[in-house]
Amino acid sequence: MSVRSADETAFFVPDTLDAAVEALSTPDAIALAGGTSVGLLLGQGLLVPSVLVWLGRIPELSALDEADGRLSIGASTTLATLAAHPRVRATLPALADAAGSVGNVRVRSVATVGGALAHADPRQDVPPALLALDARVEVVGPQGRRVLAVDELIDGFMSTALAPDEVITAVHVPVPRGRRSSYLRFTPGSADDYPTVLVAATVAVRDGVPIGATLAVGGAGPTPYLVPEADALAAVPVGQWADVVAEVADAAERRADPVSDRLGSAPYKRRMVAVWARRVLEQCLPATA
Amino acid sequence: MKLQAQVNGSPFEADVPAASSLLDVLRGAGLSGTKEGCRVGVCGLCTVLVDGRPVSSCLYLAGCADDADVWTVEGMAVRAPSVVGAFVEHEGMQCGICTPGQVVAVASMGPEVRGEDAVRRYLGGNLCRCTGYGTIVEAALDAQDRRGVPGPT
Repeated sequence: MSVRSADETAFFVPDTLDAAVEALSTPDAIALAGGTSVGLLLGQGLLVPSVLVWLGRIPELSALDEADGRLSIGASTTLATLAAHPRVRATLPALADAAGSVGNVRVRSVATVGGALAHADPRQDVPPALLALDARVEVVGPQGRRVLAVDELIDGFMSTALAPDEVITAVHVPVPRGRRSSYLRFTPGSADDYPTVLVAATVAVRDGVPIGATLAVGGAGPTPYLVPEADALAAVPVGQWADVVAEVADAAERRADPVSDRLGSAPYKRRMVAVWARRVLEQCLPATA
Repeated sequence: MKLQAQVNGSPFEADVPAASSLLDVLRGAGLSGTKEGCRVGVCGLCTVLVDGRPVSSCLYLAGCADDADVWTVEGMAVRAPSVVGAFVEHEGMQCGICTPGQVVAVASMGPEVRGEDAVRRYLGGNLCRCTGYGTIVEAALDAQDRRGVPGPT
């Protein structure tokens, strides 16, 4: 393989999705959205693409609509837009809070929801929130459109099921009535640091009783993961919520597979998963007082 | 690539690699007010405005600045004189290296940034090693006040 210099990297600004997909079929092409992660990797010499295909000028990627009981969020929607959007704040607080927790204002003003998914860093705030909210990721490539769950898209540490010439176009998030959601991150360092662990949960409530629940965890393994044991909260009478929440939190801890790093040792992160899983589930349950 | 943009309200052209950082492009053109710090988007020294949004110019690629409206600290006396005035009046600086980024960050605040908690959270990504932040926050609150942003409701 010949060594390419960063000065030789071409830059292409398509104004249609088709043109973007075609450009991405060039060997070693890289899709660029907000550039906060790609900019880092370029700056450190970890990425020397043949061509950068900037998705920032494709109008359909920045749409944000609500229809048929779901919010459809264009992949180029910035995290700042997501965090401030009135409908997102009202119907998907876990997603608004996750988007508003990433890095700092300069990151959030350009980083996108599509980029957060495609980068697949397990410490990212947004993917676990989308996982808990049962979001679907729409992807377009030369073979057409396909739709993936978040845990189908992110298939390993900083790895996705995307082909090199596939582009994330939108994220579709159901907004059922009566579903509460919450997002929490445990950041013992400064507020703009990566979190040690992060958790997102939803609880669907009817007549004051949970009828379904989801829990997703990030930062505690190679990928964000769902905790299917959260289903056990459905139809549990109020007097037993605390016991069931504790069981779900223990299950979340058992499913954790963290590595030791500066954000905490692996055993510490596992314990913190249980602590923060319990807290985020409690936030989603109706007040019992 | 041939980069064409507006910088501080004037036409700007530069022949630069598209994957170079906006920070290097600006400093290479003699606009050295924008400082280089961590180079990983964390410290805030290199904050500039692109189409009104604050960005870390160390991570922002030249190619994405084509046709854009860019403002650096050199343009703040024109674009945000009340912010510059507030920093001077409250002495919101000490050694000065973070000051260009602090001034640009405050100039990017919208009316939703109300009161001390919101200001501190907004400026959480602009690090200062000297002042202890007190006078910077005072300057930011005064700048918001001068621009007619009321305190927390």
